[in-house]
Amino acid sequence: MSTLFGLPVALDALIRVLIIVGVMTVVVMGLIYIERKVLARFQQRLGPTRTGPMGLLQSVADALKLVAKEDVRPTNADPWVFELAPFLVFVPTFLGFVVVPFALAWSVRDLDLGLFYILAVSSVNIIGWVMAGWASDNRYAMLGALRAVAQSISYELPLVMALIAVAMVADSLNISEIVRGQAVVPNIVWQPLPFLMFFICMLAEMNRPPFDIPVGESEVVGGPYVEYSGIRWSMFFLAEYASMFIMALLGAAVFLGGSAWPLGEQLGLPWQILLTVVKAGAIIFVVIWTRASFPRLRIDQLMSFSWKLLLPVSFAQIMVNGLILVYDLPYGMSHTLLAVCSAAGVLFVASAINRSVTRPRPRPVLISRSEAAR
Amino acid sequence: MTTEGAAPERTLSGTIWSEVDRALSGITASAERAVLDVIVSIPRDEVVRGLKALKADEALAFDYLRCLTCVDNEAEGMDVVYHLYSTTKRHNVTVKVHLDANDLFVDTATTVWRAANWYEREAAEMFGVRFRGHPDPRTLLMPEDMTDTFPLRKDHPLAEIEVLQGEGIAWGVEE
Amino acid sequence: MTNALQPNSNHEFEVQDIMINMGPQHPATHGVFRMVLAVDGEIVRDLIPHIGYMHRGAEKLSETMDFRQGIGFMDRTEYLAQFNAELAYVMAVEKLMDIEVPERAQWIRMILCELNRLSSHFMFTGAFGADAGVFGTSFIYAFRWREEILDLFEEITGDRLMYAYFRPGGLAWEVTDNFVERVHQVLALSRQGIKDVDGLVTNNEIFKARTQGVGVLTKEQAIDWGTTGPVLRASGVAMDVRRDEPYLFYDQVEFDIPVGQNGDVYDRWCLRIEEMRQSVRIVEQCLTKLQPGPIQPERMPRMLRTPPGEVYIRTEAPRGEFGIYMVSKGGNRPHRLKVRSSCFANLQSLRDMSIGQYVADAVLALGSMDIVLCEVDR
Repeated sequence: MSTLFGLPVALDALIRVLIIVGVMTVVVMGLIYIERKVLARFQQRLGPTRTGPMGLLQSVADALKLVAKEDVRPTNADPWVFELAPFLVFVPTFLGFVVVPFALAWSVRDLDLGLFYILAVSSVNIIGWVMAGWASDNRYAMLGALRAVAQSISYELPLVMALIAVAMVADSLNISEIVRGQAVVPNIVWQPLPFLMFFICMLAEMNRPPFDIPVGESEVVGGPYVEYSGIRWSMFFLAEYASMFIMALLGAAVFLGGSAWPLGEQLGLPWQILLTVVKAGAIIFVVIWTRASFPRLRIDQLMSFSWKLLLPVSFAQIMVNGLILVYDLPYGMSHTLLAVCSAAGVLFVASAINRSVTRPRPRPVLISRSEAAR
Repeated sequence: MTTEGAAPERTLSGTIWSEVDRALSGITASAERAVLDVIVSIPRDEVVRGLKALKADEALAFDYLRCLTCVDNEAEGMDVVYHLYSTTKRHNVTVKVHLDANDLFVDTATTVWRAANWYEREAAEMFGVRFRGHPDPRTLLMPEDMTDTFPLRKDHPLAEIEVLQGEGIAWGVEE
Repeated sequence: MTNALQPNSNHEFEVQDIMINMGPQHPATHGVFRMVLAVDGEIVRDLIPHIGYMHRGAEKLSETMDFRQGIGFMDRTEYLAQFNAELAYVMAVEKLMDIEVPERAQWIRMILCELNRLSSHFMFTGAFGADAGVFGTSFIYAFRWREEILDLFEEITGDRLMYAYFRPGGLAWEVTDNFVERVHQVLALSRQGIKDVDGLVTNNEIFKARTQGVGVLTKEQAIDWGTTGPVLRASGVAMDVRRDEPYLFYDQVEFDIPVGQNGDVYDRWCLRIEEMRQSVRIVEQCLTKLQPGPIQPERMPRMLRTPPGEVYIRTEAPRGEFGIYMVSKGGNRPHRLKVRSSCFANLQSLRDMSIGQYVADAVLALGSMDIVLCEVDR
């Protein structure tokens, strides 16, 4: 295992951890600002404009305010569980940062089981939510926590299956290898259906609209976070944006070609970083766009969407992938078959969604004022 | 054209009174013509029977209760007023029940239309009229513990109002 | 009929319903309203609404105000359909005193009432979209178009929200000189706004999934509970005061009344969008018929005194039938003024709409009734 500048392993690990913390904090604050600005533009308003030039220091101001707030704890809240819950949500997200590649040789650790590691680590935050909801001694928090857990577990499975499908095609769980394998064609061309499922499940894992029923602002206000204030609440908040960043990077790496496509290897480091940033940024933009455009799904609709539609389709995708890959077909033919089957899957999912809500129902009738007047 | 003094004479002929009279056979009812509607007065003991008859009658079909309220006439007692409408026949009628000042109770109309529920609760707490048989006689707009004040009665005072002057719009402390 | 919440107990396990209290301070409850839900997991088993937080004694106060002072109070009672409320009040006075209103004033009243319906329905689309989860976007889209209408109202009456513009006999003062052009402008913008709001929400699959089949009120229930307005029409009852008992000049313009067939929340949404289009149509027809003329009758007494009598005036406000029952014993003040507010009647049916559905659906059902708490509590 090579270390930075040949330093001893422990010091090297410490430096890497500090890099993670530093980069993530800055990135998350930048993301919060970007979301507020982009969301505002979608809603025909301006967003932060006063704190600093173009409102750039808004996140800093928010962070200062939250840090300075009084730490309120409900009297009947279970002290240990209440205090530890934010950590259990916050830390696993940062752990996922370890394997995500920024450039072809630039990830904190290049693990052979990178994909597996990130999926495993990102599901620990479920426990954090349950702890937050239970320890808050509040019915709304409990309702919100239960909803969050149900949603999270339901959408873990299609997420994992989608990523497995891609791993099958790329023949490796090592994220850097998956990126390198896309030097010519990004994986989204061969596997559009897993990308669609990854995107939907990513929204659900992060509790983002349209899957934000745990934090539904107009119902259970705040969900499991309702009793938290100040730094603790900001830890939940930061975790959400950190996971958005990490998932976007993961999606860019696994599906969109990461830093390798197009011409990543040839054009060197700055170009690779630019590619990664642009692709992750595109995914984040679509996530914010989705937030501005869609209403919220109800909890039972959300769960039935996952269990009844996404999961069977993801299983079907894996079976089809396996069937095609087991025969040693030439590269062009096998991959074209994969692409066709996957595209068919996308069309199927879209039509299923449409048909489920467009049931024939009598439309409103227009009765003229003069009709049947006395 | 303003008319000060007595209201102009209006006749009951050609109005809905003839049908109502027929439907209310057996109940002593009287009618008068107001500005827009016909007002039918029914004695207190026969109110629910009369309202049910009005709802069940095929030609009248008063299936919609528009409004239910009370009017405090001070010494002359109170009136409970029901405004009825028929969604199928599109006609309406007003039913009035007179209550004497010392026994303010009447049977509930919730057995005829469920819509009467909240209207009766409000009339009960504002005027002190008791609707016998009401399924949910809690206060609606008033606080739960203020069940002994009846604000809309004429002898209930309004808070002091400042004396305004000018333009002939001046009045003193309201009693 | 059950009044107290009845948590149910199962025999095998000790199962108890959770009582959730929504309000009086809550983002979803459109004003100061409180509902207590008994939920079994996510299903609502019982619902009890508590109102009265905004009770200001409107009816008692109106008994102390004479017939011109009471107009401003009607604005504050129904603060989203102010012109309709004022109209009912002044029509009651006019009917009691047998005053004839000049034609021009009637046409202008009609235009303003329909524009008010537009602005109120814009508010509904914004707020209901926020309830459904499209939090900021639908709110701001709808409010931007509503502001255009309110700008016009400010030009005419001087006030953005509390107009006090109608008087018994006609209007307080003449409208602005460019009234007709401005109304045409506002109509063009409103058409664009209706298209915007409709396009954002109505055909969205998630919105349809959330609102179809939710908060259903059958025809019999709707009539029995005395509901009114879009809530009643969505359940299949074609009742609209403008058609059944026409006031102003509604019998001289052509418009359609949308009537839903399913009685659910989606139908109420679609109905209101269609009503907005019909309002635009009505205003256009009124503008063609508007002629110069007086806006007040020639001889109006300085002190309005009504003869003894009573009248029940009903108008079609955006939320339903807004009725004023005025009893006069002579004199310059009403002896009794009863405001029959549409939302008061509609709110009674909330329980029937929500039982057996999810908590999120109860919130949507409440939003779809488009309540204005000032009207409910007066």
